[in-house]
Amino acid sequence: MNEELKQAAVMDTTKTDFSFGKYAWSQFKKNKPAYYSYKFLIFLAIIAVIAPFIATDQPLYCKYKGVSMFPALSFSNNCEVKNPETGEVENIQYDIADWKHMDAETIIFAPVPYSPNKTDYDNADYVSPNGKQIFITATGEETEMPTKFRHWLGTNKAGEDVLSGLINGTRISLTIGLLSMGIASLIGLVLGAMAGYFGDKKLQTSRGSFWTFIIGLVFAYYYAFIVRSYALADGFASSGLAILGQLLISIIIFAVIAYLFYWLGKLVGKVSFLATKVFIPVDSIISRAIEILISMPLLILIISVAAIAKEKSIINIMVIIGLTSWTGIARLTRAEFLRISNLEYIQAAKSMGFKEFRIIFKHALPNGLAPALVAIAFGVASAILTESALSFLGVGVPPTTVTWGSLLNAGREQFSAWWLVVFPGLAIFATVTIYNLLGEGLRDALDPRLKK
Amino acid sequence: MLRYILKRILIFIPTLIVITLLGFVISINAPGDPVERMVTSSQSGGEMGAQSLSQQKDKLFWRQKLGLDLPVFYFSLTSLSKPDTLYRIYDKSEREALDRLIAQHGNWEEIQNYSIQLAAFSSYQNLFKPDTNQLKGLPINAVIENLNQLKFEALSLKSTYEAPLIDAKFAKIKSLLNLYPFLNQSKVLFNAVEQSYAEIKNYSSNWKNYVPKLSFYKNNQYHRWLFGDGGTFSKGLIRGDFGTSYVTKQPISEVIYSKIGWSLFFTLLSVILAYFVSIPLGVKAAANRGSKFDKGSSIVLFMLYSMPSFWLATLLLMTFANPDVFHIFPASGIKPAAGYPDGASIFEKIKITLPYIILPAICYTYSSFAFLSRTMRVSMIEVIGQDYIRTARAKGLPENKVIWKHAFRNSLLPIITVFANIFPAAIGGSVILESIFTIPGMGSETIFAIQNNNYPMIIAVLTITGFLTLVGYLISDILYALVDPRISYK
Repeated sequence: MNEELKQAAVMDTTKTDFSFGKYAWSQFKKNKPAYYSYKFLIFLAIIAVIAPFIATDQPLYCKYKGVSMFPALSFSNNCEVKNPETGEVENIQYDIADWKHMDAETIIFAPVPYSPNKTDYDNADYVSPNGKQIFITATGEETEMPTKFRHWLGTNKAGEDVLSGLINGTRISLTIGLLSMGIASLIGLVLGAMAGYFGDKKLQTSRGSFWTFIIGLVFAYYYAFIVRSYALADGFASSGLAILGQLLISIIIFAVIAYLFYWLGKLVGKVSFLATKVFIPVDSIISRAIEILISMPLLILIISVAAIAKEKSIINIMVIIGLTSWTGIARLTRAEFLRISNLEYIQAAKSMGFKEFRIIFKHALPNGLAPALVAIAFGVASAILTESALSFLGVGVPPTTVTWGSLLNAGREQFSAWWLVVFPGLAIFATVTIYNLLGEGLRDALDPRLKK
Repeated sequence: MLRYILKRILIFIPTLIVITLLGFVISINAPGDPVERMVTSSQSGGEMGAQSLSQQKDKLFWRQKLGLDLPVFYFSLTSLSKPDTLYRIYDKSEREALDRLIAQHGNWEEIQNYSIQLAAFSSYQNLFKPDTNQLKGLPINAVIENLNQLKFEALSLKSTYEAPLIDAKFAKIKSLLNLYPFLNQSKVLFNAVEQSYAEIKNYSSNWKNYVPKLSFYKNNQYHRWLFGDGGTFSKGLIRGDFGTSYVTKQPISEVIYSKIGWSLFFTLLSVILAYFVSIPLGVKAAANRGSKFDKGSSIVLFMLYSMPSFWLATLLLMTFANPDVFHIFPASGIKPAAGYPDGASIFEKIKITLPYIILPAICYTYSSFAFLSRTMRVSMIEVIGQDYIRTARAKGLPENKVIWKHAFRNSLLPIITVFANIFPAAIGGSVILESIFTIPGMGSETIFAIQNNNYPMIIAVLTITGFLTLVGYLISDILYALVDPRISYK
């Protein structure tokens, strides 16, 4: 990127402290759609973080018989209210209390006073946003819905609030972006960097170390995954956290054993007849793997893998999407590293005797990150699309999890309930669009060829 | 060129093998026992445990036909504690229970003994069918109730592996056995079971679980699936036999043959339509860069590009196939439910089918169309910026000729390479669109297969689509060479 630096420096000589990052950021800011998408994304992230407080049927604050409670904000689920006159103790369970009919002194509801999974029986069976919504008062009278309890975007067949589902679905959508692309970029960056940096003819090792390491991988796999196969299977059968925990333990065992054999291999490589040097075709291996993965019908692969998970969970889907969508990142990083590995500053770093590991991740990677960033932004868009397609089809996502896709799917049964189709679809569309715009903006800001 | 194509086709082989392996791994790890499902679904009402002889025969037949009585793969990496012969236990839950017991205690000999004792106990005739004179003076209903419970506990022990659960079941069985004097003989058998379980615990050799062992099998499920077993049950994948559907028990190849037509039709139609519309559109937008047309089409294309196909499909159905709004198009299927009228000519058939095709065709086409147009525009802009185009303009060629004769051919390169991306995307997209529009194609068949755990079908779909994708790559490479004379594959 030396040339661009020079070019940019000529363009903007007044600044003394200048970096490519700052320059790219200023370019990015000039791209209005991308910049507004960025702002909108921050807004969505805030919504996702505070979703449990803005769309919940538990009030934010409630004063009942002189006792103050913060149901939506507290970790405990119940509160004991003692009647000062009779001395009776009333136990209020936050999640099942009938807050809307409670005879409280003060009560402050969340802006959307419904939880995504709770049904409003009085307004079940597709109540339209602009239609008549009813509210049954504590005395049993049927009245017009008070404005603060209105279902602003209607309800579905069971009487669940659509707006609340949308707000809580934001969390899932953004988590998918974070988790699956986190996994994908980790794999893609590491593999792409290695393929591009080492190529086929740069990683040299002795025959002894090579084979010792391969055998070590078999042992590592055995102890990490075969011996622990039932621990892993039980983890998969329980919660998402248990999967990650068990996987982490297995991966650590794998890494430790592989590392031990790596050192053992160094010793074995000293034996004279095993010391013949061999090249490891890193690039060929990784490129073949990418080729195989991109020739798979990914959606079908993801669906069938999601279908064999005993317990359906949204985390499973995110992990599977992450494990299958790293190819784009890896290809772009590889191309970038092919270029970078021949640059002079890398030669300089080599001649100074730095370890390969350090050169790749500390010196080369920051420069090779730009194309991967673009791919990540587009990848998030397609991950969100894939997830919503899966929950739309009802595959792999538990029926109790409310996502944008599952809301949209509910609208398919009843076409007259247009609000179930339009709003969740709009949410998916808007999120995908802003990620695509972000990707375009990043590409324009980071790609020197388009600069004019 | 021919040599290049041959070489590429040879490279197909390892890729396809990996794809089949992946599908195979998925199917092996699928929950549930397919044979159990196939046989019990066809002969329901059989009392638990007391399986009729014909049912057991049936199970054995299907196990052999599906090849499930074989080890999974050419080799397996297991522990020293695991026996070579565990795969011979047919019942999947029983096999897993034994396997987990091995993983807990590591002593196969004791576990095997336990399993044999357990089998002897649970299949002991007198346990379930007492003589009439034994029952004299006993409350008959209570006896039947208790015996059924005993039967249930004894059989469920076979698939139990957690120590506390086994102990609880032992206690339960013991109390049940103590109820009636005529069960004394079973008690002897049960004592043997209990003792063998105690032996498992006492003589556990857990270290064996941590010693790896590699075993090889010449005859295995994967091999049989690929190459067949000489024609008895399966001809093998290489002869076009994808196995048997778990649901309908039909050969998979027949199912695919009857379904693939519509999928290919829509996929190819969409790719062809997309290319036909997007190339002129992209060229026009690039040639008039910055004009109103360029800006407008860019925005529309970008929106289309980000639009989820299932949303657009639902919106279209909601608007144009909804009796409340516009009822222009039928909502589902690809032909009238009653079929075509008798004696309809081919043109009449097309005329009847056309309204069914329009909405799906739009949904299939629009996303690849948006992608292609954007790619075309960018590559055209890049070409127009080059020196030789400036030269062409400088020597006074009309703009039309500059664009279509000089720039066009070079700008086609990227759009041809993305053919390889569009094709698999269209195949994947068919899964969603076919199930929305209820088109009887591979996509809806795939969803149906996944919902019913019909794994041979899923592997077949993975393999076929993988193959088609590879063909797509090959075609795009060949086209690449045809369009760009600089490229020759030698």
